[in-house]
Amino acid sequence: MKYIYLILIFFTVRQEIFPQDALASQFNYAKEIYNEGHYFDSITEFKRLIFFDSSGKYNFTANQYIGNAYKAGAKFSNAINYYTLAEINAENYNELFTAKINIIRVNILRRTTNRAFQLLDSLNCDKKFSNKKKEIYYWKGWAYIFADDWQKASGAFALTDSNETLQKLCEKVDKEEYSVLFAQIISHLIPGSGQFYTGNYLSGLLSLAWNGLWGYLAVKAFVADRIFDGLMITNFLWLRFYSGNLQNSKNFAEEKNLKIANKALKYLQYNYSGTKP
Amino acid sequence: MNKIIFLLIIFCTNSFSQEVRSTQSLNLFSPTNIKKFGDYLFCQHDYLRASIEYEKYLQNSFNDTVSFKIGLANLAMGKFENASNKFLSISQNSVFYNLSRLEYLQANFQTGNYDTYRDLYENLNLNSHYKYFFKARELYSFSFLFTDNPLPQKKIFLNTFPEGEQNKIGEFYSWKSDPPYKSPVTAALLSTVVPGLGKIYTHKYSDGIFAFVTVGILGYLAYADFHANHNFRGWLFSALGAGFYGGNIYGSAASAQIFNAEIKFQFFNDLKNFLEEHNYFVPLINFCK
Repeated sequence: MKYIYLILIFFTVRQEIFPQDALASQFNYAKEIYNEGHYFDSITEFKRLIFFDSSGKYNFTANQYIGNAYKAGAKFSNAINYYTLAEINAENYNELFTAKINIIRVNILRRTTNRAFQLLDSLNCDKKFSNKKKEIYYWKGWAYIFADDWQKASGAFALTDSNETLQKLCEKVDKEEYSVLFAQIISHLIPGSGQFYTGNYLSGLLSLAWNGLWGYLAVKAFVADRIFDGLMITNFLWLRFYSGNLQNSKNFAEEKNLKIANKALKYLQYNYSGTKP
Repeated sequence: MNKIIFLLIIFCTNSFSQEVRSTQSLNLFSPTNIKKFGDYLFCQHDYLRASIEYEKYLQNSFNDTVSFKIGLANLAMGKFENASNKFLSISQNSVFYNLSRLEYLQANFQTGNYDTYRDLYENLNLNSHYKYFFKARELYSFSFLFTDNPLPQKKIFLNTFPEGEQNKIGEFYSWKSDPPYKSPVTAALLSTVVPGLGKIYTHKYSDGIFAFVTVGILGYLAYADFHANHNFRGWLFSALGAGFYGGNIYGSAASAQIFNAEIKFQFFNDLKNFLEEHNYFVPLINFCK
């Protein structure tokens, strides 16, 4: 009799244990094409899953995957929409945190860093996530990188304890970068010195020579009481070269900084193996 | 007692397994479910995916509603040629026939081929008793505002539209029949007489004052230098003054052309905004109520 009971139970339970239901198969299928990089189709299949999943079992995960796929296709606004849906459907604090961080990562990536900082600050103040401080600082560091504030980025990574690579890189970039303000100030005092500071020696030399020449001619004209000539030379030549020198020193410093920042970002893109936005 | 508990277990597991079986038997890719999913995507405004699902559905079934909705999806995506083809494929027996002709016309209007729109409107044999026919008639009238063809009489033109919109459309009509263009010749002549006046005529006030002052100063400097026997400077400032004077005449004519292009652009922009604000391009049937 016991055997009959066991056989009966086996046949009844078997169906729940062994075969996958259609939704689970659909989930696996969507995940598979996502992993193969077919993002457009994977979005369709995850949307199909969400549409037919009346229980809402896959809502969080599917919306996360849709967000990821949109993000991979650089459709950042759509990605944020679906991460927000994932956030709404989160069933625990971990899922909620993951969804929120994903929204922050998209904001970092599309350089809406002010929004990323707002969201990170609100996470930081939320007691539910007091055990996630290090992760919050980690993404704050990345937000500072994309906001081009390498000094603060280095400070934020220092609080994560575990990310010396990023901290050192940010410190290095911060040291390498030129001060745009300093370049402009020294160019105000000695024309061409801002260009020298940024390593553009020829441009600096030319700037100094032109300003010297027109300055000399203008002063000479004023001394000889040729006021009209003096005014013309000062206005149309000297001031033109002087203001050009200031603009040049600012542009050179900014261009150099951009190159340094881009080089660091390229390094992070191809050589850094940790989690990236 | 044991038997009762055992039967209860069997009952519970069976009822649960029925639920599982219902999802097991769920075929997400059956034609009906593909259509349902397409409808969902359509109402989510994911028109590209909706049209792909609908096309899949049509591979195995015939449904004129679905064909019509593919047309609408393409129209919403700005794929006017695809939309036109789909609307034209709706057969005369379909309940969507009249509607699809109207949407076909709208697709042609939105491509900017207003002459083609008018030709089609006149030759498509539209059912003028159809309840949405007025939309095609209104767009027909609007098409005259977008082209340089002669306008119909104002009264006849305005009668096409509802009373609430007649005032604004009347303004468009007046603008089109007598556009406030500036003549490049007048602008050039004005600047010949008084430097800068042509610019002021084309509403470039600061440019006009600047031209007047510059030509005036250069003229004065040339006069003063000739007077003081500084002939070289006199000729130098004369040449500069003449250059500015000639440039100002040419610039005034160019400014009139730019003015005309700007107000024409603004007119078309206002017209398009009006059409969008008054829902002229919203599908006549809402499938997502």
